[in-house]
Amino acid sequence: MNADSTAPNPPLRGAARPVPLFSPGRVATIASGTVTQLVRMKTFYFLLAFALVVVAVGNFNLPATPAKELSMIKKVSFGTMDLFAWLFAIVATALLIPRDQEDRTLYTILSKPVRRIEYLLGKLCGVLVVVGVSLVLMYGICATMIGARESLFVSAEIEAMTANGGYSQEEIDEQVGLIRQQGLRPELGLAVLASFLKAAVVAAVTIFLSTFASSSLFTIIVSILIFLIGHAHTMASSFWLHSSDNSLFVQMLVKVVKILIPDFQLYSFSEGIIQGEVVAYALVGQMGLVTAGYLAVFLLLSLLVFVDKEF
Amino acid sequence: MKRLFQKIPRILPVLVLLALFGLLRGPVEDRLREDLVSAKLLTPPPAQGAFEQMGQSALMGTLGGLRSLVATFMTLEAFDHFSTKSWDDLRQSYQIITALEPRDETHWVSVIWHLGINATANMEIDERLPAFERERRFKEYAFQAIEFAERGIEQLPESSAIRIQLAEVYREKLKDDCATSRVYGDVIGLPDAPGYSRRFHGYFMARCPGKEKEAYAYLMALYGEGEQQHLPTLIKEIKNLEEKLGIPGPRRIPDADPDRPQKAPRRPPNLLPGDILVPFTREDLRRIGG
Repeated sequence: MNADSTAPNPPLRGAARPVPLFSPGRVATIASGTVTQLVRMKTFYFLLAFALVVVAVGNFNLPATPAKELSMIKKVSFGTMDLFAWLFAIVATALLIPRDQEDRTLYTILSKPVRRIEYLLGKLCGVLVVVGVSLVLMYGICATMIGARESLFVSAEIEAMTANGGYSQEEIDEQVGLIRQQGLRPELGLAVLASFLKAAVVAAVTIFLSTFASSSLFTIIVSILIFLIGHAHTMASSFWLHSSDNSLFVQMLVKVVKILIPDFQLYSFSEGIIQGEVVAYALVGQMGLVTAGYLAVFLLLSLLVFVDKEF
Repeated sequence: MKRLFQKIPRILPVLVLLALFGLLRGPVEDRLREDLVSAKLLTPPPAQGAFEQMGQSALMGTLGGLRSLVATFMTLEAFDHFSTKSWDDLRQSYQIITALEPRDETHWVSVIWHLGINATANMEIDERLPAFERERRFKEYAFQAIEFAERGIEQLPESSAIRIQLAEVYREKLKDDCATSRVYGDVIGLPDAPGYSRRFHGYFMARCPGKEKEAYAYLMALYGEGEQQHLPTLIKEIKNLEEKLGIPGPRRIPDADPDRPQKAPRRPPNLLPGDILVPFTREDLRRIGG
């Protein structure tokens, strides 16, 4: 008897492993693919423009006190940083899904055991990684400029006050303290975080819009409009109500806008930090939680539209 | 169930979820906004007048969340107005800047300085205008500076820098000693009050008609604090008040009038011309010789 004939036949293919409902690994793979995709679009070139803005502002020679000049450098740098962050979040996110559809990567990805939520989350995480890295690089450029100007101002002020001879050490320290208050402080990192949180919400809103939009241009325009309304509605509503004598129609409209559109103005808390106010860490933490809420809800909304979308 | 889910238009659950989230986050965000404003991290919305005065670009920038960027660029624009001595445009720019960033003390100080000191100084020397017009504009700019200062103090009640700049306008341009003294008096006790504010309050009170007695008591109290307060201006002002109020000799301060030329100290008799000190005097020589 042949021994081979009694042995059970080995299975031709291994048994299919069950696909987990959610895999962080798959999300990370899509996110890293998104980062590569965005880097290949030469997105980091805008850092050159940012560096130019910072260098230009750092070299303005205004008849202002050193503290005021530092404050001006900070405001322009952080304002530009914030502008780049939200604009980049909108444009990059709006381009991703249509681009995947165009070059048919989307079909390849979705034909594999990848959940649609994983695809959306991966895309969002990829955009956020690029926004985060850009913000850190921009902060590095800005911090170098602020630090250099601060040390220059401090040494010039000490030299001038010492040469005058009429100032006590206490007065010199007080004057230097004024400059240092507007200089490079660790709290400025939280202003960068505020811009990042705002950009994250903007990206989440944009990804939701791009799930049903017909073109990238539509997504970009509508996202920018939503951003502007989200920034302005708190400011504009009181003005609008006042000019319309608190009309019921305006009141209702204001309420609807407030309910449907995120309040981006809250993220302007970075302005206080930049101006040297004391940071309330608990409030920053609460803003982080609100942002997490926005991200979760807008991802869920995106999934609702995207879950059974036919391509 | 899946079929039912597919039959419902997708817009419905999206709107319901969006509305529910909006209703939930509304009160949380309102409370958070109040906390951020009271922690001075968030600036309250600009006054309604500011919106009306803003240009299109500034308005768009402000509504687009670039409030501080807009304020900074408007500061540069204001500097341009300062360079061309366009004082009315400068005032207009600062109306918006201070509405956008009412908590930035430097904006208030700058506009008071520009209008109260620079614009008024320009009116003192601008030969292109007739004298009457110059005088009228001088007062107009000075009063505009005071108005800005009052609004700035309303926004930042603890600011000593705004008050010091205001005092400078009263002191240097309007020559109003009573108002100068009052403003320096307001500075005393504020967190960043400079050390000289107490003395300046007294100096200008001494020159304010009708306040002489109060000023004398105040300056004497300062004088009584010790040697560190015995500064030439303090002594001079006390001496002036002693004269004005007819303070009797024994109650007057012993210090010499700092403005009166000091008598040269008597040379020691044994110090020869050329500062040569000898161990004997002329008296000794006479005695020996005699």
